Parts: sequence; structure tokens; C-alpha cells
Amino acid sequence: MRIRVRLNGRTVEHDVEPRLLLVHFIRQVARLTGTHVGCDTGNCGACTVLVEGKAVKSCLMLAVQADGKDIVTIEGLANGGGLHPVQRAFIEKFGVQCGYCTPGMIMSACALLASIPSPSEFEVREALEGNLCMCTGYEQIVDAILHASTLDRGHGGPRRAPQAPHGRLGHGPGDPGRASGTTEAGHGR
Amino acid sequence: MGDSTRPLESDGVFVTSQWVGAAVPRREDARTVQGQARYVDDIDMDTAHVAFVRSPHAHARITAIDTRDAEASPGVLAVMTGRDVAAATNPVAPRGITASVTQYVMAVDKVRYAGEPVVAVVAGTQYLAEDAAARVHVDYEPLPPVVEIEEALAEGAPLVFEEAGTNVLLHDAFEHGDVAGAFRGADLVVKETFRMPRFSSTPLEPWAIIAQWDPGTGAFVVWSNDQQPGRTAINVSRTLRVPIDKVRYIIPDSGGGFGIKLAVWPYIVILCLLARRAGKAVRWIQTRSEHLLAGTHTPEALIEAELALARDGRFLAIRVNSKENDGSFVHTAGIYPLIKFAVIVGCYGIRATAFEFSTVVTNKAPTVQNRGVGKPGMTFVLERLVDLAARALDLDPAEIRRRNFVRPEQMPYTTPTGEVYESGDYPECLRRALELAGYDEWCRKRDALREEGRYLGVGIAAGIEPGTSNLGYYYISRGRPDFLGSVEGAMVGADFDGGITVVTGSVDAGQGHATTVAQVVADMLAIRPEQVSMSTHFDSATSPFAPHSGTYANRFNDVELGAVVAATRKLRAKMLRIAAFVLGVHERSLALRAGTIHVEGDPTKAVSFQEIAAYAYKKALLLPEEIEPGLREIAYYQNRAAKVPRREEFNIQLTHANAVHVVVAEVDVATGFVTLPKYVIVHDWGRQLNPGIVKGMVIGSTVHGIGAALYEEFLYSPDGQLLTGTFMDYLKPVALTVPRFDLGEMESPCPTSPLGTKAVGEGGAITSLPAIANAVEDALRPFGVTVTSLPITPEKTLRAIRGARVI
Ligand code: FES
Ligand code: FES
Repeated sequence: MRIRVRLNGRTVEHDVEPRLLLVHFIRQVARLTGTHVGCDTGNCGACTVLVEGKAVKSCLMLAVQADGKDIVTIEGLANGGGLHPVQRAFIEKFGVQCGYCTPGMIMSACALLASIPSPSEFEVREALEGNLCMCTGYEQIVDAILHASTLDRGHGGPRRAPQAPHGRLGHGPGDPGRASGTTEAGHGR
Repeated sequence: MGDSTRPLESDGVFVTSQWVGAAVPRREDARTVQGQARYVDDIDMDTAHVAFVRSPHAHARITAIDTRDAEASPGVLAVMTGRDVAAATNPVAPRGITASVTQYVMAVDKVRYAGEPVVAVVAGTQYLAEDAAARVHVDYEPLPPVVEIEEALAEGAPLVFEEAGTNVLLHDAFEHGDVAGAFRGADLVVKETFRMPRFSSTPLEPWAIIAQWDPGTGAFVVWSNDQQPGRTAINVSRTLRVPIDKVRYIIPDSGGGFGIKLAVWPYIVILCLLARRAGKAVRWIQTRSEHLLAGTHTPEALIEAELALARDGRFLAIRVNSKENDGSFVHTAGIYPLIKFAVIVGCYGIRATAFEFSTVVTNKAPTVQNRGVGKPGMTFVLERLVDLAARALDLDPAEIRRRNFVRPEQMPYTTPTGEVYESGDYPECLRRALELAGYDEWCRKRDALREEGRYLGVGIAAGIEPGTSNLGYYYISRGRPDFLGSVEGAMVGADFDGGITVVTGSVDAGQGHATTVAQVVADMLAIRPEQVSMSTHFDSATSPFAPHSGTYANRFNDVELGAVVAATRKLRAKMLRIAAFVLGVHERSLALRAGTIHVEGDPTKAVSFQEIAAYAYKKALLLPEEIEPGLREIAYYQNRAAKVPRREEFNIQLTHANAVHVVVAEVDVATGFVTLPKYVIVHDWGRQLNPGIVKGMVIGSTVHGIGAALYEEFLYSPDGQLLTGTFMDYLKPVALTVPRFDLGEMESPCPTSPLGTKAVGEGGAITSLPAIANAVEDALRPFGVTVTSLPITPEKTLRAIRGARVI
């Protein structure tokens, strides 16, 4: 079957077997390997991506179901050279150990902050319920996301879902990685 | 900035003090947060894919294998049965066990656990390989399985390895001090039988291997997420019958290890054979189901223990009899029993110990050294006995511990078995933890809430977290030490442009080694960490690794940094010699500053690292004859505290951190669910090199313990089928079910590690188990419940409340 998706702002078209999982399409066809596989039952969240702005476990979706959809993976967040605030916060708060859960965690965090710009700790922990981390014990990840929500404040709100008309990366002033608008272009809007 | 100009003392490690001890952000993370990390399966390489046919039976004879359909399946390049594999390999070499048994890396003629690989299939894609694997027909004649420890020990039990004549592959007993006398003279003996569950720290990335074979040279290249390349090199070459240099190991980013990736090597052997057979590079990415089913687990244990006490609460002696279910893998069988006795006396001055152990094999999955290796179980047992004793003597759990702690003035303290605790202040650690927790207040609150029908309990546990294994220990019963001590290597060099490069023998699986190494080297050479380059990927072709090399047993902070420090010293000394020559002064009058070496007191008389490198390489002709060209230094390091283990004195591990956990647990007596509203950790980590990393290790490790204490268990049916084979029923802690942690500060530098550090990676997983169990038992005191087993599941808790009285 031929499918056509918007992947990090680029259009990707490909013939796929009907049984091909979206995560395998992303990893093996589009060669974007930042999206990981940590289980085969939809429990771990390592494969989390944004589909139409919602956090989705890409191992629970077939590639054909993504036809015509807008998908953002971890590789699509930092377009333009500057890190997304959530990415920066993960570094600053030691939210990464082995890093295998990290892309999925960050995508879940982006989806959360798009709907709740200033979440409570409980809301953060609740939003991560579908994401397993075996290394950190979660605390520094939770701290990173809470920190990211403060980095966003006052700069156009948290980054919205990519198809939202005014989505911004929300880099703070003076951020050396600030990338004057190219980030949005990268998402093809 | 490296702007502190300090003369070099002849034995000084650091010349600046800017980076070591600071929470320097991890250099590994910029790639990771952008999805640019490279794990094995991310390697962009044309490979075929491997799928395994695994045994559906726990115990069966293989009567026929028909691979014809599979071979004719689309895209199939090779099919290998266990017999094919056995014909090309040597059997797996056992380490700890004394019984003589034969096992290959794939099942031959008989399967010993459900999930054991029987046939391997190689095809063009993963989907095609799985299709073909489904077309392999295997006939089995089921044999009666032995699943639980008691069954395996029963008279006439079916044998997992017939040639051994028993299911006990190792049995031994040790006694240190006058145990019988202590028990005779005791005023009180507390005795209990405990059960530790079979669980795993389940790294999020399962095992992954790519193997490539070069027909021209007969050499292999292996990409894997193995965490112990030194031993793997030995095991693979011995099993595959090729010299060590014929297999090159590359370990890219690894998605967590926790010991579970110490047993990847049998599959490396299989992948190498498949690559050679298929004539194409092959890739195997273990699925989570395969991971949970077939490899690997912590063995469950049945532990009888008794503690002898004087009336005043002093501990006189401890006696332990432990039986471990090591499943069915002879390489790791017998590793657990001895190491746990590194902590048999815990933080206490117990002067007589006796222990006996049996390594039992069954038709369960293989086991491997999971985070803490036996010490979580031993500490669970000891700290449970301490609470039972406190209750029997009507003493406060904090007070009975205080009365028995090894005292700071006794340090360094040698335990009856020869373990040397180098430093620490255990009473102070407890004091800080109780204060941070608000212990008395929680006790009052517990009593008050009980009136309202809410059941809270306060649990205390004190634990030792040893680091750096003295690897001779597990050969003690065999009497033939193969490995001894713990050696690690490092290369530190200056490149042609003066940049500093480090290559280590150990691997990284999330510990941030490159960050820490860069901090250490920066302060040794008065440069910035960014000027130190270190790959997070391991390559045996360039790494100065040793047979012990790898990341396990908390050895990085000790022996790996020891090697880095030693190599950096050599490099620094050589750079000083070259600088002295160039500047025409004596080395003693030189100092380092911001990437230069200058004459002390006159920074204008300076030579940069870049110029020194130019002299060392490009312009070596200008150097005096006695200075050898080049600027790359290799050093090997071992912890000198290690002694050759003997039965009378076997120092199992070489550094000893300690911790106190104080936990408040609330049990919902209607549902049996346990929550942890308060969790305090005071972990004496010696000297911290990077507090951000240390904190993450301590908390992450503690959460592994929470999982084992409350949720996780590999349960098997009576016929040996794994019942908890996915993350839907093998439950892991999630962000919502773990508490926020209060961490106290405690730093008693270790006198025997090169930088004063102690272990931090396993202690949480050790001390948390009894802390939580003690808290739950305290909460359920009105119901008279005793906690003797883990995990404390809602079901077990409800049964206990409703009359069973025992969890
Ligand atoms: S890989 Fe998708 S949830 Fe685990
Ligand atoms: S950092 Fe390793 S799984 Fe989260």
C-alpha cells in the first residue's frame, strides 16, 4: 500500500506492507532511529511520537493508519539548531541516564505541556504513566519537565502540537540556540 | 577556566579544583535528547535478520526438527539447529559450580526451559525471519519439569542435567568465629525463613547484536550492548574456537544494563555462526517478550536465617542457609550464593557467622547478576531479623541498630569473613536519616491515624553497598581461582593538535562515564572538560581493556578512574618533560594553566599543549633522545586492597558504601495496596564526583528496589510456563507510583579508592527492600502480620490481613 505522511514537516511517501508498524516505518523506512522500541505490548512508551499533535505509541499503530497524518518525532523538535525547552531541561536536570526512554519521555512531555502549560508535579507524573524509565527512578525526569514548563512561560506559551497555527518552540531570550523562525519552517507550516 | 596556577606536588592528583565535585551537565545528553544516540539497532547497515524458534516446553526431549519449510520460505538465508551450533562450538564454561555438566549456547537434544532457543533462522527482513521461524517443525517429548526449589531438591526429582546426578550444582558451608558458642550463650534467638522473588531490573533496551564475518580474514566484528566486554571476549573466543583477536567488539550506546546484559555473550556466539553461515551480516534485536521469557533473571531464593542476641539487644552471631534457584544456565549458576555474604553482617559488629548454600537448577529461565547480586536478598533477611529482634526485646528499631553498629572509631573494620569496611560513620548516617524523616513525628502520626483506621508504618533499614568485586571469590568452592581482583585499563593521550583523548576499558550504559572522566582529567591537566574527548562507544580494537573490563559491581569509580588517573599522570609527566626541554627549565619549576605549561611565577614563559604535541609527533626529531616520541599513555589499575581469596578470609568486594533508608508506608487494608508517602535516603557515597549523576544513580537504584519490594515477580505455572511475561503482568514502577525522595548528605571518603569515591549504583536496590518490608510490617502490626517474602503484592497483603498473618 502506498502511504504519504508528513514526517517532521517533510512529506514521505512509500509502499508499505499492511502489517508494517508505524514505529518500524519511522525507524526502518524513514531511518529516523530516535524513536525506540522497548516492548511489544504497548506498555513502555519508548516509541512515543506525536500524531496530529497527540502523543501516540507508534508500536500500537500501523503505518497505513498514519496515511495522510502529520507526525513529529524526537528528531523534529530541535529543527533550526536550537534545542526545544524540554530537551534543554532534560540536560539541565539530569533527566537522562541510558537515554533509551528519553525520546518517548520528551514527546509525552511536549504533548502534556501543549495541553497543560504549567502542570503540577502530580499532573506530570500522571502524564508519564505510559512511559517506563528503568534508570532514573523518574524524579529527575519529572523535575526536567516541571523546569521546562517554567522555561516556556512568557514566550508564547509552550510549544503546541505541530499542526497548531501558532506553535512556537518558545526559546527564551538570550538562548544561544535560538533559531529565528527556522524551527517553524522545519515543520512545514 | 583552569586559571588557578598551582605548582605540582609530586604525588598530587589534581592541579585545579573546578570540575570534580561539580554538577557538570552530562555531555552524553545533547545527542540523546535529539534522538541522535546510536544504539545497536540504530546502526545503518545492510544486514539480514535473525529470529529464534524457542521451546514451548519447560523440559522436553527434542525428537525431531524439520527445517525444510523454513529453508524454502521467502528471503531465508540460513537455518541452524542446536546440533549445528554444538558441532561448531565448545560447551559453555561454568564458573562457580563444582558439578560437571555440559551445556551449549543453544538447546541440543533436550530443552531445559520454556523459551530456550532451539533453531535460529536468518532472512532478509525481520518480518520474513519471523515468518520462516513459524515454519520450523519441532517434535518434543515432554519430560516432567522441576520448577520450584523444593521440587528440585525432592527425592527422585527429575534432573535438569542428568550427568550431574543431582539438581544441586554447588553446595558449600562456611563458618567464621565461634558460632555455636554464641548461640549457646544467647538470651534470644530470632529465626525465620524468607523468600526472595525472581525479578529483574529489565533494561529498557533489550539485548541487541549485529555480527559480521569477513571470509578473507576469518574475523568477526560484533556490535552489541554487552556490558562486560573483557569476559565476553574470553567466553566467545573459547566457545567459538577462535583466538581473541578474531572478534572485534563494538559497543555503541546501550539502553541500560544493571547486570542483565552480562549474559548477552551466548547469543553473540550464535550470531557469529549465523553470519558465517549466511555469508552476510546478521542482526538480532531481542523482543521484550523474549527478554522476559528467556533472559535473564535474578534467581529466587529460600533463605533460613537466625540471629543470636544478648538481652541488651547486642547481636552475637548469625547463621544463614540459602538455596537459590539458578534456573538453567551453567555459566552463571553459583555466582549468587557467595557474593551475598559480603554483607552478611551488614552494618553491625557481629563477630560470628555461619552460612551454607545450595545452587539449585530447575527448568526456569537463566539467571544473571542483577543489580546488587544477592546483597538485596541478604540485606532483606538481616534487616528483617533485626526488626523481629527489636520487637521481641521491645526496643525501638533505631535503638537496636544504634547498639550494634560498627563504630566510626573501629574503621577500617574487618568482618569475620575478611570483608574490610574502609570508612564510614553508621550511627551518624542513621541520625541524619531519622532527623530528615522526622522519625518521632511520623511514629506519633502513625499511632494517631491508627485510631482513624488508617494503617501507616515507619520502616528503617541500614545497608552496606559494596563496590568492585574481587573476582576470585566465586571460585572459592571450586578451589581454582581463574579471575582474581579487578583490573581496568585506560588510554589518555594528546592528539596531534594538543586535544586530550581518553579511551577506557569499561563501557557506558547510562552512567555518564565520559562526563565524569572529563571532569577528572580536566582538573588533572588544568583544562576544561570540553577539551577532553572521550567516545561513549567501546571498541576492542582501540580500547586497552582487560579480562575484568566492563561496567558492573560499581567498579567504574574505583578501578576505571584509577586507570584514567594513572594514565593521565603518565601523560602529564611526559608533557612536563617536553615542556621543560622546550622552555629550558627544570620540570619542578613548571605549572599548568588553561591548556599551557608555564614557568611557575612567570606565565609568559609558557608552551601550549598544542606545541608540546607538535614536538611529540611532528617535530619529534628535535626532542632529546631520552624522550620517546608520541603522547599516548596506557595504564592499568587494580584496587590494592584485594587479597587472594581464601576460605578463612575472602574479601569479596573492595569498597563499602553504606546507607540508611527511612520509609513511611501506608497500607490500604481494603485493597492491599501500599503507598510510600515518605522516603528518606542518606547514602554515604564517599566523595561525589558529580552530584547530578550520583543523585540519579541513588534514586534510580532505589526505584529498582521498590519494584522488587512491591510489584515485580516472574511467576511460573507448575509446568514451568512463565505467567508474567509482559509488562502488563510483570509490573514496573511508574512515575505515579514512586515517591519523591529526600536525600541527605554524607561523605566519608574511601581511603582505598583512588579519588575517595564509593559505590552508588546498587545501594538503593539493596537497602530499600527491607526498609519497605519493615514499614509495611509496622503498618500491619495491629493485624499481627510478619513480612517474610517479597514482593508485597496486594493479594498477599490482603490474605495476610484476613488471617494468614504472613506476607
Ligand atoms: S515499544 Fe511502544 S510501548 Fe513499548
Ligand atoms: S534513562 Fe534509561 S530508561 Fe530512562
